[in-house]
Amino acid sequence: MSRTFNAFEMAQKQFDDVAEILNLDEATKDLLRNPIREYHFSIPVKMDDGTSKVFRGFRCQHNDARGPGKGGIRFHPQETIDTVRALSMWMTWKCAVVDIPLGGSKGGVICDPHNLSEREQEQICRGWVRQIARDIGPLQDVPAPDVMTSAQHMLWMLDEYETIHGGKYPGMITGKPVGMGGSLGRTEATGYGVIFTVREALKEMNIKPADTTAAFQGFGNVAQYAIKLYNQLGGKVISVSCWDQADNTSYTFVKTDGINVDDLLAITDRFGGINKEKAKALGYEVLAGDKWIEQEVDILVPAALENQITKDNVDKISSKVKIIAEGANGPTTPEADAVIKERGIHMIPDFLANAGGVTCSYFEQVQCNMNYFWEKDEVFGKLDVKMTSAYLDVSRLAKEKNLYMRDAAYVISINKVAQASRDRGWI
Amino acid sequence: MNKKIIFDRNLMYENSSFNFIGNDEPGGKASSLILMKDTIDSVFKDNKYNDITVDIPKMTVILTDIFDIFMKENDLYSLALSDQSDDIIANTFQKASLPAFIDGDLYSLISKIHKPLAIRSSSLFEDKMYEPLAGIFETKMIPNNQFDTKTRFNKLVEAIKFVYASTFFSSSKNYFKAIKKDIEQEKMAVVIQEIVGEKYGDRFYPAISGVARSYNFYPTGKSKPEGGVVSLALGLGKSIVDGGKVWNYSPEFPAAPPPYNSTNDMLKMTQTEFWSVNLGKLFEYDPIKETEYLVKHTLKEAEDDDIIKNICSTYDLQSDRIYSGISGYGPRIISFAPILKTKIIPLNEILKKIMKVSEEKFQTEVEIEFAMSYQPDNIQSARFGFLQVRPMVVSNKFVEVRIEDYKQEKIFIYSNHIMGNGVNDKIKDIVFIKPNDFRAEYTRAMAKEIEQINYSLTDKNINYILIGFGRWGSSDPWLGIPVVWNQISGAKVIVESSLPDMNPDYSQGSHFFHNITSFGIFYFSCKSTQKIKIDWNWLLKQKIITETKFVQHVQLSSPLKVKVDGRNGTGVILK
Repeated sequence: MSRTFNAFEMAQKQFDDVAEILNLDEATKDLLRNPIREYHFSIPVKMDDGTSKVFRGFRCQHNDARGPGKGGIRFHPQETIDTVRALSMWMTWKCAVVDIPLGGSKGGVICDPHNLSEREQEQICRGWVRQIARDIGPLQDVPAPDVMTSAQHMLWMLDEYETIHGGKYPGMITGKPVGMGGSLGRTEATGYGVIFTVREALKEMNIKPADTTAAFQGFGNVAQYAIKLYNQLGGKVISVSCWDQADNTSYTFVKTDGINVDDLLAITDRFGGINKEKAKALGYEVLAGDKWIEQEVDILVPAALENQITKDNVDKISSKVKIIAEGANGPTTPEADAVIKERGIHMIPDFLANAGGVTCSYFEQVQCNMNYFWEKDEVFGKLDVKMTSAYLDVSRLAKEKNLYMRDAAYVISINKVAQASRDRGWI
Repeated sequence: MNKKIIFDRNLMYENSSFNFIGNDEPGGKASSLILMKDTIDSVFKDNKYNDITVDIPKMTVILTDIFDIFMKENDLYSLALSDQSDDIIANTFQKASLPAFIDGDLYSLISKIHKPLAIRSSSLFEDKMYEPLAGIFETKMIPNNQFDTKTRFNKLVEAIKFVYASTFFSSSKNYFKAIKKDIEQEKMAVVIQEIVGEKYGDRFYPAISGVARSYNFYPTGKSKPEGGVVSLALGLGKSIVDGGKVWNYSPEFPAAPPPYNSTNDMLKMTQTEFWSVNLGKLFEYDPIKETEYLVKHTLKEAEDDDIIKNICSTYDLQSDRIYSGISGYGPRIISFAPILKTKIIPLNEILKKIMKVSEEKFQTEVEIEFAMSYQPDNIQSARFGFLQVRPMVVSNKFVEVRIEDYKQEKIFIYSNHIMGNGVNDKIKDIVFIKPNDFRAEYTRAMAKEIEQINYSLTDKNINYILIGFGRWGSSDPWLGIPVVWNQISGAKVIVESSLPDMNPDYSQGSHFFHNITSFGIFYFSCKSTQKIKIDWNWLLKQKIITETKFVQHVQLSSPLKVKVDGRNGTGVILK
């Protein structure tokens, strides 16, 4: 992550641009360009070696006019409050664009799970909940897994919450394991959602998925399932990049006749790092981590972290690229975004492209509240309909008003949230 | 219709009558309908014949690549190809998931349709000449009348998975074994098609369903084989394809009654029950049962629905006569007399036209399935739905059978009601129902015993002559032995001997019969009243290989000679 990059400033700039288009009044702008609430706290943990360590935790609730807050909890050594603020704002827009009755939140802990034992991670999870238990819950703010947090983390958090409140509240958190209040299809949902929107974009361009190629940045959960579904539609992925924990850098793995996701998964660690020696043995070319963006493909899917397509590398995007689908949150800086817009590449913005995850989380909450769980086909059927409908709304508005896709998505979302805030009489 | 229209949920469903989900093959059944679509549209201008709408009901086809992904992603092949029971296979398929990218299309599709649907198999091998597979895979009909989309979607998905599972049911496996094909090569497309019918309270059914064949293997009276034959039934076509009691007639002579010996015979053989889709309370939740949403009714219920007045005759006891339509309180006979004799609607003309154009399109004889629905008081605005077409196999080989050429003691079996054409002089094995032990109430048990013997013979690649009583393949055990195709897959010659109290009409519309003709199996029908009878005495003296309670398998030292003259409808088996 670049030192100069500030995700919150970027999120605010994006908001300001659209506020201008929408001609929002000052009060609405003030309300929506900052989180409505935020919590900063310390989490003391007894480490395995007997020492004590204090971790810094956050929860930002950007806006809950449309419903309880919703957003993940990130464990990352370079976590900052500004990143969490930005992400909570994007969650608000994301829930609004896919039209689910939830607001936007985000949380995080500054820590590196790679260097923590399971017990230590459990203590962080429980400590995080102890600090915020009064201000989250099924009717207030519902956390979920995010960067380097998993279903197991969610279950520890749920257990702590239920211990504090003395009851069963399965809807307090989502991303739980299946059979423990989790929804079938949650694991696949974000990646599949990305491809549902790509599929619709290709339909609009009258291009068959089978005639396209793609390059992915990242090989975590989102990218893995997105690649699988894209392959099922007939598309060919020729490159993926991922972080190598041991080398502390990233690599791009290229196979021009198409990567085999199952082969790569067999040599991938739990954080999505691909073993480069084994990959070479399988016929993959191993290049520097930033080479993913230069691939001669039709579709680019940044599905790793924020701030990846910048003014420094945006010009390396091949002239062949027709679609960028942002699987990660905030992967494109405003400067790079302006170049992409200028070049006429079809952008599927992050809070639309990767909204499959939160949509499925919403389904999980609904199922938990009913205590009745759906079959996978039903989950994917509804997910696809939600995602497709959201994509088409954005695309239609973009065409009608001659807007950039990201701006069109913001217009829809901000309008909805501003209207809900006005309807409640807040402004 | 050369270009496949890909299903687009963003377009109104009403805009296209055929559309497709996936990229690969539509399978045999759907391909035939695609082939006929333009023809039907051009022959019947604006899809009308007089005021009758003639069309192929709207359908969405899930192409075979979706089946491939479903099987692979859910890792189903090892179980599907194993010897596990049909129920276990069906249940496992229910737990599997469809490819995620079609769930949304299906959800959108079902949100736009509120009519009952037939979810039908359309496999790669299905309905191709010589590989007919008629009725081998399952069709599931669903009411699709639930208020919420979610429930309708779930029922649709269950039905699709059930059809997929049926690819690997034991009947299908045995069938593939019989035709020496590798079942792993089979791929299943699925047709989602609106059912032609009308709603009557909690029932949904067509007034008429039928099977029309452009070649008649059993011509009677003045009719000729080339004149074809039509089987009609009240309600869903299940009555016909299962070999139940239906009305058969020649399109050349629609007013001629079937060759019953007496009014009493006609009353005995008329349709008394019919099938509908259940729109009401579900009796049992069972996604792996083909008839989960189907119910059988008596004619009384059709009369309550006011539907049979246009298709029945009434027997008047006092005058011992049969009158067309509803007349008094006598027993009803589903004879379709008001339509076939009085011609209140030109059904027969439509059928003749359709058979003609279908024959031209397929360049061979054809079998057609159709259904017709109408409002009881507005039959002139009926709807004729063309549901399926498949080519028939009719051999043109010249074979002559003249009974006077053979000495009486050389004749084992003779019939002037045969199906097929040609000669077979390789069969030494005969499997038969022991004539002295036959009882109609035990026909199910007989079917089981035959299955066992068939299994051991097909395992050794031995073909045989099968002899029994009543109609083979009838779903009604009181009409004959209710075998399904795979239970007798090694039979090359089938002989049905009628009994005085078991003398059913030939069931030419059933899937069972279609498979028999397609595989070139010779079918002999021997009436109990015919002059030259089966030589049971000779048969009972032959070397017994296997004997069960009802069935015997004998083997001869030298093969029999079977000669079948399809043109003249005569056949003989010589010792």
